[in-house]
Amino acid sequence: MNNKTASLTSVRGTGSVIQQLLNKKVLLFVTLASLIVIPIMVGDDYIYHIFITICLFAGLSTAWNIVGGYAGQLSLGHAIYYGIGAYTGMLMLNAGVSPWISMFVGAVLAAGVAVAISYPCFKLHGPFYALASIAFLEVFHVISLNWVGLTGGANGVMVPLELGWSTMVFSERLPSLVIVFGLMSLVLAVSWAIRRSKLGFQLVATRERESAARGAAIRTVHVRLYAAAISAGLTAMLGTFHGSYLTYIEPESAFNLTFSIQIVLFALVGGLGTVFGPLYGTILLVPITELARGWLGSSAIGLHGFVYGVVLILVVLFMPDGIMSIFQRYLPTSKGRHVDARDEKSTHHVPLNDVKKSERAPVGEVVLKVQHLDKHFGGLHVTNDVSFNLHKGEVLGIIGPNGAGKTTVFNMISGFLSADSGSVEVLDENGHFISPKTPGAFARSGVGRTFQIVQPFAAMTVEENIMVGAFYRFRSVEESRKVAREIAYELGLSRFLDEEARNLPIGGLKRLEVARVMAMRPRILLLDEVMAGINPADLREAIELIKIIRDSGISIIAIEHVMQAVMELSDRVIVISSGEILAQGEPEEVVKNEAVIEAYLGKEVTDASTE
Amino acid sequence: MLQLNNVTSGYGATTILHDLSLEVKEGEVVTIVGGNGAGKTTTLRTVSGLIETTSGSITFEGEDITHLPAHQVVDRGITLIPEARQLFSEMSVLENIQMGAYRTAAKSQYNQRLEEVLTLFPRVKERLQQRAESLSGGEQQMVAIARGMMACPKLLMFDEPSLGLAPIVVSQVFEVVKQIAKSGTTVLIVEQNVNQTLKVADRAYVIENGKIVMNGQAQELMGDDHIRKAYLGI
Amino acid sequence: MDLLFSLVINGLMLGSLYAMVSVGLTLIFGITKVINFAHGEFMMIGMMLTYIITTYLGIHPYLTLVFVVPLLFLLGIVVQKYLIEPLKDSDEHIQIFATVGLSIAMINLVLMLAGSNNFNTPSSGLRETLGLGAATVLTGQVVIMLCSIFMVGGLHLFLTKTQMGRAIRATAQNRNAAQLMGINVSRINMVTFGIGIACVGIAAVLLSPLYPVNAQTGQSFVLIAFVIVVMGGLGSIAGAFYAALIIGLVDAFAGFYLGSSLKDVAVFGIFLLVLIFRPSGLFGNARKLAHVS
Repeated sequence: MNNKTASLTSVRGTGSVIQQLLNKKVLLFVTLASLIVIPIMVGDDYIYHIFITICLFAGLSTAWNIVGGYAGQLSLGHAIYYGIGAYTGMLMLNAGVSPWISMFVGAVLAAGVAVAISYPCFKLHGPFYALASIAFLEVFHVISLNWVGLTGGANGVMVPLELGWSTMVFSERLPSLVIVFGLMSLVLAVSWAIRRSKLGFQLVATRERESAARGAAIRTVHVRLYAAAISAGLTAMLGTFHGSYLTYIEPESAFNLTFSIQIVLFALVGGLGTVFGPLYGTILLVPITELARGWLGSSAIGLHGFVYGVVLILVVLFMPDGIMSIFQRYLPTSKGRHVDARDEKSTHHVPLNDVKKSERAPVGEVVLKVQHLDKHFGGLHVTNDVSFNLHKGEVLGIIGPNGAGKTTVFNMISGFLSADSGSVEVLDENGHFISPKTPGAFARSGVGRTFQIVQPFAAMTVEENIMVGAFYRFRSVEESRKVAREIAYELGLSRFLDEEARNLPIGGLKRLEVARVMAMRPRILLLDEVMAGINPADLREAIELIKIIRDSGISIIAIEHVMQAVMELSDRVIVISSGEILAQGEPEEVVKNEAVIEAYLGKEVTDASTE
Repeated sequence: MLQLNNVTSGYGATTILHDLSLEVKEGEVVTIVGGNGAGKTTTLRTVSGLIETTSGSITFEGEDITHLPAHQVVDRGITLIPEARQLFSEMSVLENIQMGAYRTAAKSQYNQRLEEVLTLFPRVKERLQQRAESLSGGEQQMVAIARGMMACPKLLMFDEPSLGLAPIVVSQVFEVVKQIAKSGTTVLIVEQNVNQTLKVADRAYVIENGKIVMNGQAQELMGDDHIRKAYLGI
Repeated sequence: MDLLFSLVINGLMLGSLYAMVSVGLTLIFGITKVINFAHGEFMMIGMMLTYIITTYLGIHPYLTLVFVVPLLFLLGIVVQKYLIEPLKDSDEHIQIFATVGLSIAMINLVLMLAGSNNFNTPSSGLRETLGLGAATVLTGQVVIMLCSIFMVGGLHLFLTKTQMGRAIRATAQNRNAAQLMGINVSRINMVTFGIGIACVGIAAVLLSPLYPVNAQTGQSFVLIAFVIVVMGGLGSIAGAFYAALIIGLVDAFAGFYLGSSLKDVAVFGIFLLVLIFRPSGLFGNARKLAHVS
């Protein structure tokens, strides 16, 4: 066990971590405090206004970031929720209801609208989602202009002139600052908590690689809807406040595209998907534009818009990861350390002897029944009447030339592709055969898979990648983290725990695939070419690892080209060629089969060897 | 003619080729064989400029082409017929073939070359006006080869021309490769179908994990145990 | 019956105007896969240029084509080269922000220079009405209608019959293979972007005598253009043309029956339905998103 503790401390460098946390915490504390202290000390109304604006946008951007950053859904229509909050507050205030109450009514309304809008739009990606969100914003804009009975149309709505905390309308600025600061802090706290929760991990995983997230049994649509609802609710609360602060709202300003883009801009400048990036982005940009306006006078219309546009262009060209990436650079962390392939070997401190080797259990009952699978792509018959069974504790090797249809079969027995005909039945935990249909359902029935083209959640650390799998079994973050570390240790990934997955060499990524699936504690493991690209020197250890997995009672199907691994691991081998099962049986028999040699090497080899 | 000296390259942070060296002499047919993921395709893509070389150098006819962009490599006379055909699927067969002759040196010989190519591929000639995607896999491979030949390359590189084709079509493809070589074009071919390829090739390299582990005359390698082992583990 | 006829005629006139604005947008997306959120602003700049040149030189607005179109072509090339091309390997959202940022910067630059005033290019007789049966149309609208047909037809011929056009389509269909043919893909992208912007330049010149221009003009057109481009199947020039005519008709009918303020709800409502239920457009199928012409 010495190995383990040693490798853990070497990764973390305990002292510097505390120091760094301190630095970041101090920076955050000082920043937040100054948002309140500076305006009070200066006491100038204009300065108050600037700081209120900062808090408002910091809150809005942070709220946007929950759906735009964590979930990666690029909404350019967030002003919808701001407008809903503002109008709800304004109209209810005119009906005598305090914003302290209407704030929550607006939040619930906005969350509902967000779910209704987002649900059909989630299948749209990138620019299309953005376009749809703009179109929805435009629809809300036109409706608010025309529903004069409710909104007063283009004339807008005013607050009744009744000052005080219950109406949130003040003649002084300080109370407004206190309220908006409180709201902003709430949004920051929610955003911080989400990022650290199971939901946060699932959102980021979904953003990074939706197919792999579905493979890890994440309900990718659900989690994004939660995020959209939370984000919209928080945005609406800020909208309610801002309506009272402005004392007047109208459709042009409430449902405004430029306003939406501004919210997004601050988050981008700060760092998309980071917890505090939007805060710092706002603090940097709002004063710059306000000062510029001060210098050039209010006559310079368009100035702040121009500055925003230029900043946006410069940021995407030169600093696409935002301010937070600079913080990362100057507050050095253990992340971002580049690992090249040569380091890979030294990671193989897999203390195989430490892991208790249980005796291999005898091969048991059938756990997976595949019957008569058929699949066509266009005119191509890619899978033709493929049937086989998998037994408990067995390793079944699938081999065959490139393009033979092996991965297609895998996709059909893990729910990523549906067969034209035929059936796949899995023995569930209660001993019944069930026929799952979706990747999630397969995962829940105990089937875990890796992908031939590795699908890491690139921007997440190795530990977080594995935790995404672990969340399937474990509710709490801490428990999942513990499991993730254990698995990382077993698979020789401990040294990389804090490394972002994108920096791993290919061998490491292959092991990370296995680790993430193992964290789901599957009973059936589908391995798609996990040995490809592994150095021959490391092959030995990889084979031993799979033996350990097998001996723990997990049934394995492995597509593999590395014949040494196939021969040593497989209890049975199936050869697929041109979508059909060409041969099956014990490995030694199969490789002597003439049809197999022909499929692999071309016909004449067999002729030559018989000559 | 073509020389790779200690070339290292890969995708992003992933290095695939490690210090790989090989050479192709004028008029030769050279093949690179090796398992999945060994770096065969990467080698061809590196030569053609689709992948940036991180270290080492590539020279062609004495000129350093290591860091030329892909379209300039084509201009020098190296054409790659890519894996899985990669036709312009919504253009007609004729348009695909016309695109092949995009390089300046090929334009002047267009008519003569077209005739040659269509004589070699009578099936293609029948389908000139059809959309490329409506052709069968074998026919598409023929169009891909025809398209590559239209560039009048000095060096023609094939990436797995037999991939996903029925055995009878595979033999036809190799027959065509043989004819192209006979007409004087230098050929570098990467294939899984080791035996067929070795029969066509003069020399062969065996690649494993991004390194050349073996090379020699194709005839000698044909009966070699190492190759059988690399492919079947026996 | 007369009313119906006149609505149809007006719808088609409006539709061909929209077609002119949208064709460049769909061409750019088809080839470079970038949605140009700043497309409307290029048109606004084109209209501003038309206004300036017409008033200062005192020439017929149509003559400004000689200046405006090459200028916008160059502007397009510059934008592609220094803004879009460097981001070609970036995330989608970064690419979106790039053109969104460009759009905001252009609008506000014009606001700073010219304020929010409307500028009216001299109409030079193009606002004369013509009787067309029961409908009345403006001379300038008829010109736009004819030009939009020529433009779509011309682009189609260019893309199918010329070497450059074929290279552009080849790049759209398979960027990798195009490089292997010796096509300089980044140059193709530059030329395509230039052509797309030049197209909106032509639209700008033809529109100027009929519509006043201000800093926000691009915004009001570009949203409609997005609707059309998605409906027509992104990248499909013919699709965009038909979609533009449909939207023109919807616009004319909704404007008459729902009132001008609510007609946008109809247009965007249709847009959202198409986006959600047929994201590949009314005429295409999903596989052919790269389809051009």
